[in-house]
Amino acid sequence: MTTAASLLHPTPSAGRIPGNKAMWVGIFCEVTEFALMFAVYFVARAHHPEVFAAGPARLSLLAGTGYTLMLLTSGWCVAHAVHAMRASRQQACLRWLTGALLFGLGYPLIKLIEVRWNLAHGLDGSAGIFVVTYYYLTFNHLIHVFWGLLGLGWVMLRTGTGSYSADDHIGLEAFACYWHTTDIIWLMIFPLFYLLP
Amino acid sequence: MSETRKLDLAWLALVLLSVVGAGLGGTADDRFRVSVLVALVMAVKLRLVCDNFLELRTATPRIRRLMYAFTHGMPLLVILSSAFGGTLARLTGALVL
Repeated sequence: MTTAASLLHPTPSAGRIPGNKAMWVGIFCEVTEFALMFAVYFVARAHHPEVFAAGPARLSLLAGTGYTLMLLTSGWCVAHAVHAMRASRQQACLRWLTGALLFGLGYPLIKLIEVRWNLAHGLDGSAGIFVVTYYYLTFNHLIHVFWGLLGLGWVMLRTGTGSYSADDHIGLEAFACYWHTTDIIWLMIFPLFYLLP
Repeated sequence: MSETRKLDLAWLALVLLSVVGAGLGGTADDRFRVSVLVALVMAVKLRLVCDNFLELRTATPRIRRLMYAFTHGMPLLVILSSAFGGTLARLTGALVL
């Protein structure tokens, strides 16, 4: 039976490629890149367990939690934007994307504040293996967030100019997949550096 | 329940888990137990994002399996590295100067 809810927010068919193949090639490259960096993390941690156990206390948990909430909320807005487009609600889609951009920009803003805080507390490149590994992974992640923010600007432009429709919004979906994967990687980085004893 | 309602509930659960999970960082309990708890919270959050935001449940099996392998493997590695850190250090001794 077709319900009013399913007509308003049609669910995609099973067994499909969300977005497009090209984006998934990029996403699996990103996943492979971070998998290698996580391998470096685990090896470094195995060799310096005490240094890594003491590491989270040196970082700002408030900043780490702030990044997490910003990215999760931005991802939630993007997911809503995709649903709005599927229901042919272009203006609502653009509003959700604007929300995603605002929360997404919270990430580099917190990064700026956190790096200043870190440097004021002596956490620079010479502060030991924990801090070096932390900068190595988190700055790489920041680069991916920047790509994502650029992509978000592009899909906002395309949405604003009416380039997407309920039937054809593959670009928007492809961006959403990338943004959620960037979110997934942060959900791995956050506990490794800010929580794990 | 509508898809957007599921999204809202997933987001709420993710926010709650993030805030509650952050509290684990300050605990001075047994390290292995805290590592297991941190890994479990990580696993639940990753699954919520995969299923509700990334819509992996409707994705082609190859993409779904690869992403689940990555997102399920990571919490498992956290637990294994906490339990067998010494073994990993011996196995990778030649890699470290």
